[in-house]
Amino acid sequence: MYRFFVRSPIAKLLWGILASLVGIILLLLVLVSEDVRMAAQTVNWEGRSIENGATLFDNNCATCHGPDGRGLPGVAPALNSHYFFTDTGRLADIEWTGSLKDYVALTVAAGRPSKPNSQWAQLMPTWGSQFGGPLRGDQVEDVTAYILNWRDSALAQSHEEDPFQAFQDVRNPAEFQNIAFLVLSTEEQEAAREELKAQKAAVSGPTTPQELWISQGCSGCHNINEREVDVRGLIGPNMADLHERAGSQVPGQTAEEYVYESIINPRAFVVPTYEALAGTMPDTFAERLSEAEIQGLVQWILDPNRQQ
Amino acid sequence: MSVQQDIREKGLLGAAAAAADDVFTRITAGIDAGEFRRMLQGEPPGRPNPRLKPHSEAFLLHIKPTYYHESVTRFTHTFRLGLLSTYLFVVETITGILLMIWYAPSPERAYVDMIRLLTNVPFGQFLRDLHRLGAEAMVAIVTLHMVRAYLTGSYKPPRQFIWFTGVVLLVMTLFLSFSGYLLPWDQLAFWAVTIGTSMAEAVPPAVVGETVNLLARGAPDIGANGLLRFYLLHVLFLPLLLILFFFVHYYKVVHFGISLPADEEEVGEDTANRVPADKRVYYLPDVAIDEMSFLTVITTVLILITVFFFQAPLEHIANPQSTPLHTVAPWYFYWLQGLLKIADKFIAGVLIPGVLLVLLIAIPYLDYNPSRRGRDRKVAIIAGIVAGIVMIILSWMGTPEYAVEGAPSVEIVQELMPEEGSGVSREIGYTHLPVGIWRTDEEYEVHDHEFEELLHEFREAVDYYRRQDPDFNAPIGQLTITQDQPSLKKLHWDIFWYDAQGQEGNYEKSFWLHEDSMYWEQYGLKRFFFGYISDGWKSLSGAFSGE
Repeated sequence: MYRFFVRSPIAKLLWGILASLVGIILLLLVLVSEDVRMAAQTVNWEGRSIENGATLFDNNCATCHGPDGRGLPGVAPALNSHYFFTDTGRLADIEWTGSLKDYVALTVAAGRPSKPNSQWAQLMPTWGSQFGGPLRGDQVEDVTAYILNWRDSALAQSHEEDPFQAFQDVRNPAEFQNIAFLVLSTEEQEAAREELKAQKAAVSGPTTPQELWISQGCSGCHNINEREVDVRGLIGPNMADLHERAGSQVPGQTAEEYVYESIINPRAFVVPTYEALAGTMPDTFAERLSEAEIQGLVQWILDPNRQQ
Repeated sequence: MSVQQDIREKGLLGAAAAAADDVFTRITAGIDAGEFRRMLQGEPPGRPNPRLKPHSEAFLLHIKPTYYHESVTRFTHTFRLGLLSTYLFVVETITGILLMIWYAPSPERAYVDMIRLLTNVPFGQFLRDLHRLGAEAMVAIVTLHMVRAYLTGSYKPPRQFIWFTGVVLLVMTLFLSFSGYLLPWDQLAFWAVTIGTSMAEAVPPAVVGETVNLLARGAPDIGANGLLRFYLLHVLFLPLLLILFFFVHYYKVVHFGISLPADEEEVGEDTANRVPADKRVYYLPDVAIDEMSFLTVITTVLILITVFFFQAPLEHIANPQSTPLHTVAPWYFYWLQGLLKIADKFIAGVLIPGVLLVLLIAIPYLDYNPSRRGRDRKVAIIAGIVAGIVMIILSWMGTPEYAVEGAPSVEIVQELMPEEGSGVSREIGYTHLPVGIWRTDEEYEVHDHEFEELLHEFREAVDYYRRQDPDFNAPIGQLTITQDQPSLKKLHWDIFWYDAQGQEGNYEKSFWLHEDSMYWEQYGLKRFFFGYISDGWKSLSGAFSGE
């Protein structure tokens, strides 16, 4: 029996064929299950990353941001906060155009070394090793994953539960931060923002056009002083002689209408020879400035006797 | 001969058959279809033997002997361990080259590449597990191969040099396995290799030891340079050297023949190369079929173990700032770790292994007994068995079981929730850890069997150390489970005790556990794989039926 089933060449060949079949079936089982396995592994390692981030947060961040991430009054802002996660919250107030993940990762890695005298008792240190901090890149990612894992509980907070502390480093005054609970629809949010700008203007008076010209960065590209020597006209069209040309640039538009439109929608008309630079000028001034400010700016630009 | 003439002479079918036979003979390097059929039917070869031709025509077969003595083809004589070692090296090469596609040897990438391999590469985990299994099996099989050669006395003249190259191959297999250990760049890898290379530091004089250590690590500590050096050793230098020594080893094996069972020849004689005609078993087809079917079965067994049972571990990313509590060497170096616990670094890490290696190489020259028969070699066999037992005891001493006791409080937490690996807490998993405060000195009505088990083990561990350690009196353990974040629980361990002077002691440690985390050991025999199969099957059949 032993000789026949094990020792004979035919038996050996059959064993070999049987083993190959079993092997192929096993590999097919792996093949069928690979997608599910990879998905499970993906969430597994995301979970591990959050666990690692929890330890790092507990060791390094909790002293200022609180053990539950709800911040400490006057020490550090809350992260486990509705304001922090909602679209109309922190990111909108600082006009951040990237994702929240990018914002958190960058803030952790770079810290806030430029703000030693802010409203917070502690300076946010630099953590990323690439900027001289103690944490490796993967650790910055882990902490970021942990902070972002508050999303569900933070977004479920009511206005009273939100441990929000008003920021001083944004344009909106304290009473107009964290407005997501006051208004609901996009239109209402828009209206609130308009109202906010108007109120802001009422409180401090509209900013003068001269200040806006500098603070909004216009002077970076446009020349407004020397009409013959076109110093900065190469980046943006020269504005020193704009009052002479503005009325005739676009048929059917007065000088005021033309300049107004160019500020809020720079791409509507591109001055010939500047086609290659179309899109360089930001198209967000309508949101950044109040109506009165834009009107003031238009008048000032078109005034041939403007004061510098 | 032109085709037309061929057809005219043999007819169309005949000419086609002759052409097909010609192609067949080229592929088999000299065996025509008729001879091949006679081979399969088990008929004896004609004279002169037409089945010897492939040995002279084909490169791969010219290395193999044309026939073996019938006695050495018995499975129980060699257990095919040499063949198996060679085959495992081939498996390692193939899986290793495939793994190299998804791997870059730099500290920034290596660990991330491991996770990417597990999460985003189809068959990635399979390849990694198979490579790891093959490596550990290779160390075991090469060692067993040596044990077999020792017990059958096969190292005796004229085969001393085969034994020497075999010892070199064993050492190289160990180095190959060990150099691959570092590549995943996790805590397990980093600290095992840090300990391993630090032994080189003990080589006297100090300047030599330091230089050797510096050359291996590429810097005072293992970092980017050390990883690159271990990678190059692992994928290039050691395999090439191993291939060289393999061919020397195998050439000598074929040259002298596999030693016969000792009882079949006179003491002091070596008749392995004088095989009587009636004792010959030809490589083609008998031994070839035997080896091929054996390796096919082995391959399937390897796949089976990889798919259902074996997982290559992956701990946290390497962190030079934090040494895990119980750092262990790979299991085949446990004996060395055991030695290091009872002797100093120079004696245990350099002197004894060096002397052992020299002794191992010198065995054929120390053992002047000409007989290979077991009953004539009582001293040698008893010495071998004693050496084996000593190795096993030393290996046991190398595990954390022996002589590494931290403070009781640290050990208790390490037992229930270790820094690396799973422990009972992670085994029972997120859903079986109810939020609350749980103390060892109170009884609870818990309706969760698995959590009850955890509380029970917690009490047992605290009680065990209370009895063991006079400095650990009236201990209380407290586990606080809180919901730290959505899908993230925090397990805070608190141990309170009084020492012999009545001073109060306290130890705290926090761990977090995410709902989605799967700790390897959590699943024991890869139980979850069956779930994957059924889920995968569902989505596949759904795709076919157009859902």
